[in-house]
Amino acid sequence: MELYVPILVLAVLAAGFAIFSVSIAPFTGPKRWNRAKLDAYECGIDPTPQPVGGGRFPLKYMITAMLFIVFDIEIIFLYPWAVAFDKLGLFGLVEMVLFIVTVLVAYAYVWRRKGLDWD
Amino acid sequence: MNDIAAPTIEYGQLAPMLLVFGAAVLGVLVEAFAPRYLRRSIHIPLTLAALVGSFALVLVQVFVSGVPTSPAAMGAVAVDGPTLFLWGVIAALAFVSVLLINDEDNFVAQAAAVPGSADEEDAEIAGFSQTEVYPLVLFAVGGMLLFTASNDLLIMFVALEVMSLPLYLLCGLARRRRLLSQEAAVKYFLLGAFSSAFFLFGMAMVYGFAGSVGLSDINAALPNVGGQEPLLVLGTALLGVGLLFKIGAAPFQAWKPDVYQGAPTPITALMASGTLVAAFGALLRVFWVALGNFDWDWRPVMWGVAILTMVAGAILAITQTDIKRMLAYSSIAHAGFLLTGVIATGAAEQNRDALSGILFYLLVYGITTVGAFAIVTMVRDAGGEAGHLSRWAGLGKRSPMLAGVFAFFLLAFAGIPLTSGFFGKYAVFSAAVAGGVLPLVLVGVVSSAIAAFFYVRVIVLMFFSDPAADGPTVVGPSVGTASVVAVAAAATVVLGVFPEPMLDLADKAASALFVR
Amino acid sequence: MRTFIALAANPDYPTLEDFGKDPIWISIIKAVGIFVLLMLGVLFGVWFERKLISRMQHRYGPNRAGKFGLLQSVADGLKMALKEDIFPRTVDKVLYFLSPVIIAVPAFLAFSIVPFGPMVTMFGERTPLQLTDLPVAVLLVLALASIGVYGIVLAGWASRSPYAVLGGLRSAAQVVSYEIAMALSFVAVFLVAGTLSTSEIVRAQSVGGTVSLFGMEFSTPSWFVIQLIPSFLIYVICMLGETNRVPFDLPEGEGELVGGFHTEYSSSLKFAMFMLAEYVNIFTVSALAITLFFGGWQAPWPISLWDGANTGYWPFLWFLLKMVIVFSFFVWVRASLPRIRYDQLMAFGWKVLIPLNLGWILLFATFRALRIDEGNRTLIMTMLAFVVLACFLIYMRFDIVAQRRKREQEAEVAAEFEELGNAPEAGGFPVPPLDLPHYHGVQRKEVSSGTH
Repeated sequence: MELYVPILVLAVLAAGFAIFSVSIAPFTGPKRWNRAKLDAYECGIDPTPQPVGGGRFPLKYMITAMLFIVFDIEIIFLYPWAVAFDKLGLFGLVEMVLFIVTVLVAYAYVWRRKGLDWD
Repeated sequence: MNDIAAPTIEYGQLAPMLLVFGAAVLGVLVEAFAPRYLRRSIHIPLTLAALVGSFALVLVQVFVSGVPTSPAAMGAVAVDGPTLFLWGVIAALAFVSVLLINDEDNFVAQAAAVPGSADEEDAEIAGFSQTEVYPLVLFAVGGMLLFTASNDLLIMFVALEVMSLPLYLLCGLARRRRLLSQEAAVKYFLLGAFSSAFFLFGMAMVYGFAGSVGLSDINAALPNVGGQEPLLVLGTALLGVGLLFKIGAAPFQAWKPDVYQGAPTPITALMASGTLVAAFGALLRVFWVALGNFDWDWRPVMWGVAILTMVAGAILAITQTDIKRMLAYSSIAHAGFLLTGVIATGAAEQNRDALSGILFYLLVYGITTVGAFAIVTMVRDAGGEAGHLSRWAGLGKRSPMLAGVFAFFLLAFAGIPLTSGFFGKYAVFSAAVAGGVLPLVLVGVVSSAIAAFFYVRVIVLMFFSDPAADGPTVVGPSVGTASVVAVAAAATVVLGVFPEPMLDLADKAASALFVR
Repeated sequence: MRTFIALAANPDYPTLEDFGKDPIWISIIKAVGIFVLLMLGVLFGVWFERKLISRMQHRYGPNRAGKFGLLQSVADGLKMALKEDIFPRTVDKVLYFLSPVIIAVPAFLAFSIVPFGPMVTMFGERTPLQLTDLPVAVLLVLALASIGVYGIVLAGWASRSPYAVLGGLRSAAQVVSYEIAMALSFVAVFLVAGTLSTSEIVRAQSVGGTVSLFGMEFSTPSWFVIQLIPSFLIYVICMLGETNRVPFDLPEGEGELVGGFHTEYSSSLKFAMFMLAEYVNIFTVSALAITLFFGGWQAPWPISLWDGANTGYWPFLWFLLKMVIVFSFFVWVRASLPRIRYDQLMAFGWKVLIPLNLGWILLFATFRALRIDEGNRTLIMTMLAFVVLACFLIYMRFDIVAQRRKREQEAEVAAEFEELGNAPEAGGFPVPPLDLPHYHGVQRKEVSSGTH
C-alpha cells in the first residue's frame, strides 16, 4: 500500500492546482455581458437546440466502444501472460495462440460485416 | 518472484465440449468468409456433425476411456458420470433441435431490419436468412455443456453467460410476430442479466466465506470457517436465485411464458430442453457438491420454492389460452417436480437414487418437450403458427395423426403410465419419498393431477369439439421436423414401455455421484 | 532457464523492493518536484514547439517576450488568466466546470511512475529518483489515460453544442482505438523484461544479453528499441494518435469541428487546463517511450563510456535530453505531415495496427519460446511455421484486396472522367460549357482582388 501513497500525494497536488485554477478563473477576468457571447458557438448562426440528455448518437460509436472492450480484455490477458511467459513456456504459447486465434475469428467477422468501416 | 507452474489441461476429457466450441468458431468463420448462398449448406452439416461428434466423443469417453474419477483442467471442470450422461442428453436434444431450426421459415430474414419496414420486405424478397443462428446455437450448446460440468463458480458463471447470451439473441429472431419476439428477447436479456448479477454477487459472498470459488474447496471450508455464516447464507441465497432463475422455478418463473411464447419455436424447444438440463446439472453441482453439508440451511427454502413452483406452474397453466404459454407453465411445473429430487438428499445411497431419477427425468422430459414444440411449429394459419388454443379446436378431426401424437406427448407430460413421463415422475418421486420429503411428493402428485386436467383439456379440445371454419392448416412436415416428431414419439413410447436400459444407464451414471 | 538477461546486481539500479520506503516528506518533495517540472516543462514546451516549428517554416516565431521569446508562454498564461471566463448559457454547469479537472489530474498522475534516475541521496535519504513504482506501473498509465478520456467526453457532452459533442465523441473513439494498439505494442517489452514495473524495465535494459543462434554467440543490444523495433514503430504511431497530435489531430479539425470538444472553453484558465493536459500527455507518452524503448534514464552510448554517467543526478540530465529529442520529433512530425481523414484514421488503427501488432507479438513469443524450451523444438517450430504462414496468408489477403480496390478505384475514376468528358453536365453540377470564350481568351479584363 505504501507504493500508492506518493501517487495520492501527487493527486492531491494536481487536483488542488486544477480546481484552484478553474475556480479563480471567473474572478481574475473581466465580466461583460453579451447575449451572443453566451450562446453555444456555431460560427455565428443561431445555435442548434440540443436535446436534454445529449440526444442520440450514431451507433458506430457504440460499436467502437464494444470492440474496444473486447480488445482491452484481450490485452488484460496478454499482460500477465507476457510477464510470466518464460515460466509458462510452451503451454503459455499454445494457449495464447489459441486465444488470439479465437479473438481474431471474431475480429474477422466484424471486419467482414463492415463493423470497422467508418463510412 | 514465486514460480508459476504451467497448468495441465486434459484435452481428451474436454473433447466433446471443445468440439462444439471449435465448430461454433468455424461457423463464425463461415459467416465471415463464405458467400451468402453457400452459408446454410455449410452450416447445417457442420453443426450436425459437431453435435454427433460430441455425442460420439461422450460415448468414447464412457466406453473406451472410462469415467474419470478426478476433475479436469486443474479442478475447474468435472467430467464425471452425471456430466457425461447430461452431455449425451444435451448433445442429443441439441441435435434434434437443430433439425427443427434447420426448417425453413422460422427465422427472420434480416435481424437488423425494423419490423414492418421496407428493409425487411426487401430482405425477404431477396431471400436472405440470418444464418448466424447456427453458430449461435452451437455457442449456446457449448455453454450448456460447460455449465453442467463446471466445478468452479467462476467457470460456471462464464458458462452461464456463454449459454445465455446467444439465447437472448436467438429469442429475438422469429420471422413472424417480430415485435413479440423482440420483446421476449429484451425481457429475457434484462431478467437474465439481473439473475447473472445475482449469481455473481452470491459468488463473491461465498468466496468471502470460503476463500475459494472451487466447489470442493467451498465444501471443505464449510466445517472449518467459523463466524462467517451470514456471508455464506447470503451467498447461498444469491447463487440460488441465479440458478433457480435459469430453471424457471417460482418465484423467478415470470420470464418463462413470455420468452417461450415470443421466441422462434425451435429455439423454445432448445431452451425448454437443453437449458433446463444444463441448469439442473449446475444446480445439483452447486447445492450438492459445494453446499451439500449446508443442506439443513438451504433445504427449508428449497422446500418452499419447490412447492411454489409446482403449484404455480400447474395452476397458472390452466388459465392460459396460448399453446406455447401453456407448455411454458408446464415446464415450470416440471422444474418443480425435479426440485423435489434435488431436495431429497441423504446418505450416499439415497443421493444416488435421487440423482439417477433426476437424470432420467431430464432425459425423458427434454425429448418429449422437443417433440411437442415440433408439432406446434406445424400448426399454422396466415399469421404464422396458430398459437391460440381455440384455433386448435377440432384438430383431431382434420389431422388425426398429428393431434394423436400431440395428445400422446401431453399424456407423457401428465405422467400417464405407458409413457416415459410416468417413469420419470416415478423415479424422482420414489427417491423423494425415500429421502423423507413425503409432503413435497404429495404436493407434486396433487399438482400433477391439476396439470393432467389442462393437458386433457387440450386433448378434449382437439378431439371432441368442432373444428373452426377457418381453422389453421397443418403444413406437411419437412423431413427434419417429421423425424424430430418421430424420434420424440418413439423415445416417449420406448422409454415408457421399456425403460430399464436407460434407467440402468442413469443409475450407472449416478453411481459414483459427482467428483469433487 | 532465464540466463540470457544477466542483470547486473548494481545497487544503483532500483528494483521494486526499493519503493515504498520513503518517509512521507521525501514523497512530498518528489511530488512537488514532478509537479514543478511538468509546469515548467509545459511553459518551455509550448515555447520550444513554436520556436522549432517556425524555424522549420522559415519564420522566427515568438521573439518579443524575454530573450528569444522565452517568456512568451508565461505571457500567454497570464493573458488567459486575465481573460473573461465565459460560462455559456446552455451548458451542464457541474460537468462543464469539472471536466478540465478530470482531464488534467490523470495527466499529472501518469508521471508518478516515470523513472528519472537511479538511486540517489536526497537530504540524507537514499531513494530512487522516481516518485513510486508499482508491479503494474505501465497498466496504471493506461488506466489514467482512460480516465482522461472521460474528461474529453464529458467536456464535449457538457458543452451542449454540436461541435463539442461531435468532437468529444470522435476524440474518445480515436483515443480508445489507438489505446488498444498502444497497449499491444507494450506486450513485447513485457515479454523481454518479464515485469510491468518501470524501474525494472529500465534495469532490464542495462545489459545486453547474448543469444546463441546456430552455435554462434551474438550479443544483443541493451535498449529494447533495437530488438523490438516493430513494437517501437507501432508505439510511435500510437503515441501521436493517443495524444491527438498531428497527423491525428482530428478532434480539433478546425475546418470541420472548430475546436472539437473544447469549442466552448474559449478562453480563461479552463482552456489553459486543456492545453496543459495536452502537453503533459505528450510528455507522458514521450517518457514512456524513453522508459520502455530507449533505456530510460541511462546514458546513451558515447557518454556511457564514462563510469559516472549512470550514477547520482546525472541520469536526470540524460532523461531530459531524451525528452527534448522525442518532443522535437513530435514537432517535426507536425511540421511535415498533413492531417489525415477520420475514416482513414480509424481504419488505420483497427485494420492495420492491431493485426500487425498481434502477429508480431505471436512471432516474437514463438521465437522466444524457441530459446527457453529446448525439449519441444519440433512443436515450437510447427507453431512458428503456423504463425508465419498465418501472417503471410493474412498479408496476401490484404494485398489482393488492396490491389483489387485500387484497380476498382482507378476504373471508377477513369469512367467518371470519360463520362464527364462526353457530357460535362452529367455529374449533376451546372458546368459552364467548355467552349465559353473567356476560357481561351482575351475578351475580359482580369479583376484583381485588391491591393496587397
